[in-house]
Amino acid sequence: MTDGQSFLQSPIGATRGWWDDLETEERNTIVGLAVFGGLLLAATAVGILNPTYLLYLLTLAGMFTLMTLGLNVQWGYTGLVNFSVIAFWGIGAYSAAMVTAERSPLGWELHPVWGVVVAVVASALLATLIAVPTLRLRADYLAIATLGFAEIVRMVINNERAYTNGSAGIPGIPSVAEWVESPDLVSFLTIALLVAVVYLVLRRAQLSPWGRVQRTIRADEDLAQALGKNTFRFKLQSFVLGSVIMALAGVAYVHLITPLITPTGLEPIRTFYVWIGIILGGSGSNRGAVVGGLTIVAIRQAPSFIRNQLLNVPAIAPYVSEINVGALRLFLVGVLVILIVRYRSSGLLPPKREHIWSKTLEDRS
Amino acid sequence: MVDFDPQLVADGLVYSSIIVLGSIGLSLVYDIADFPNFAHGDLMAVGAFGALAVHGSLGFPFPVAVVTGMVIGAVVAVLTNRVVFEPMDAGPLELLIASIGVALIYRAALMQRFGTESQSYDVGGQAPIDAAQETLGIAINVRAVAIIAVTLVLVGALHAMLQYTSLGRQMRATSANPSLARVSGIRTDRVVTAMWVIGGALAAAGGVFLGLHTLIRPRMGFDILLVLFAAVILGGIGSVYGAMAGGLVIGMVHELTPAIPVVPTRYNTAIAFVIMILILLVQPSGIAGGKTSA
Repeated sequence: MTDGQSFLQSPIGATRGWWDDLETEERNTIVGLAVFGGLLLAATAVGILNPTYLLYLLTLAGMFTLMTLGLNVQWGYTGLVNFSVIAFWGIGAYSAAMVTAERSPLGWELHPVWGVVVAVVASALLATLIAVPTLRLRADYLAIATLGFAEIVRMVINNERAYTNGSAGIPGIPSVAEWVESPDLVSFLTIALLVAVVYLVLRRAQLSPWGRVQRTIRADEDLAQALGKNTFRFKLQSFVLGSVIMALAGVAYVHLITPLITPTGLEPIRTFYVWIGIILGGSGSNRGAVVGGLTIVAIRQAPSFIRNQLLNVPAIAPYVSEINVGALRLFLVGVLVILIVRYRSSGLLPPKREHIWSKTLEDRS
Repeated sequence: MVDFDPQLVADGLVYSSIIVLGSIGLSLVYDIADFPNFAHGDLMAVGAFGALAVHGSLGFPFPVAVVTGMVIGAVVAVLTNRVVFEPMDAGPLELLIASIGVALIYRAALMQRFGTESQSYDVGGQAPIDAAQETLGIAINVRAVAIIAVTLVLVGALHAMLQYTSLGRQMRATSANPSLARVSGIRTDRVVTAMWVIGGALAAAGGVFLGLHTLIRPRMGFDILLVLFAAVILGGIGSVYGAMAGGLVIGMVHELTPAIPVVPTRYNTAIAFVIMILILLVQPSGIAGGKTSA
């Protein structure tokens, strides 16, 4: 279909044409998201779901989406295994907290912009520090090594009270709530804008020659080397870029979502959540990463939400109250992980045409 | 120079025993199934809570509870392999991620059944032994001595089994060259099951001892998992004797940190991780130079 033809079609016809062009996975995901979004809106309209809470969840989903987008650069584009996702998030969150918060042990109280600068520099430095020695390790070793690094970061943050305030964490981080009338909406819009910018930049990078080299490295690193590419440099760039995005998610968290950061936020389970998001969404796909980010929040919040609703039903309330929400959440996540790996390891939205300029597709048909 | 302190050595032996028991199974599975099993730490917790239920709720004597815990660990390990890992046609990383899922399911079951509070075995034996205090100048209780003794017995039994029984020879053959072992008429599927049984039972024993030495919590196993990996990687993946040696070294380093100047004691676990990362970078086959004696 050429541009001229689609311009002449009626809007309905154009929509139908667009729908027919989609792949099965894309249609399923769109229908799934539409149904899910509809349910959320219906729940909000009926009053089961508080609109402020819905905005909070969406903001949280935006933060997780930043993390899945970052991991997608490393794992999805280049095939680098990084199990220190939450450490980079923590570096970002703590950088912002330490230089801006009133009650930070440093006591600098700088403008949040400096928090962003420090977060980017610190995460890039740490990423380089981790990547230079470890990037040549094979995947499973890299997983264990990076998990070890993440735990060391958590231990340092937990123990260096003079800088991080130890296990008590840093409270009183300047929040968007202090500056505006409706903080929830502004938080959501800010994070949505951030996600959109990062998404567009990454999409452009993925389609660029740089992105093609990264994909070649993922498929066959020897081939990329045979083609004269300095694969180590490309891998390093990918690792640092992904890590900086994760750190930005951390900055966004302390300024937009919760003005308090403690070392318990750096539990390795959150790294696993981001991995689940990326595999569920489809490794290598930015759209998949967005779907994955939304899903993380859904599976984290759904158990307690469902439990609270079921408690209102007198007949089953005694049994429901026996259920430990934390246990139910872990159980559901565990089952989901195994099912994805077993039956759908390519994810919901595997990157197919995402690797091709859309113009090229149109020229072909 | 590091001062020699018998107290730290005694503490180190107790912690090493726990690490050794955990890392043997982790190493066996890593070798034979070719993936790092992230559920192994939580399998230790399953064993610890299994023993707690048999001893505390059902009222059986503690030694019976330990053995039952080991049986539970073995059964859970074999079942998990049959239901989850074996049917998967996937690479090491996919299996690694699936094993995280398994770990979460184990932990969820423990949290639902036993709650999230820390618990302990009601067996006594926590008072320091006077004789040890007088002769060696160390504070060590009956629990600690029992942990070291039983670990020595288990490790000795494993050694005897590997070296002098038919199953042990088959296990060594399968580990060295699975294809050759199969064409030689060894039923490798049975050998693999035997490895899961051994790994699961030893992990459960390690979990019970960890609970005996500290507290029983649903997260106890996961918190120790990376330390186990440090031991396995130090000893060389797939080597049972390497896992024993690696477990001993890592356990000792963990408890001897107070004797090392410069490094604060609170970073003792971090030192284990640093050793692990260094070994991965410098000599990924481990200090023993790979599985020569598995």
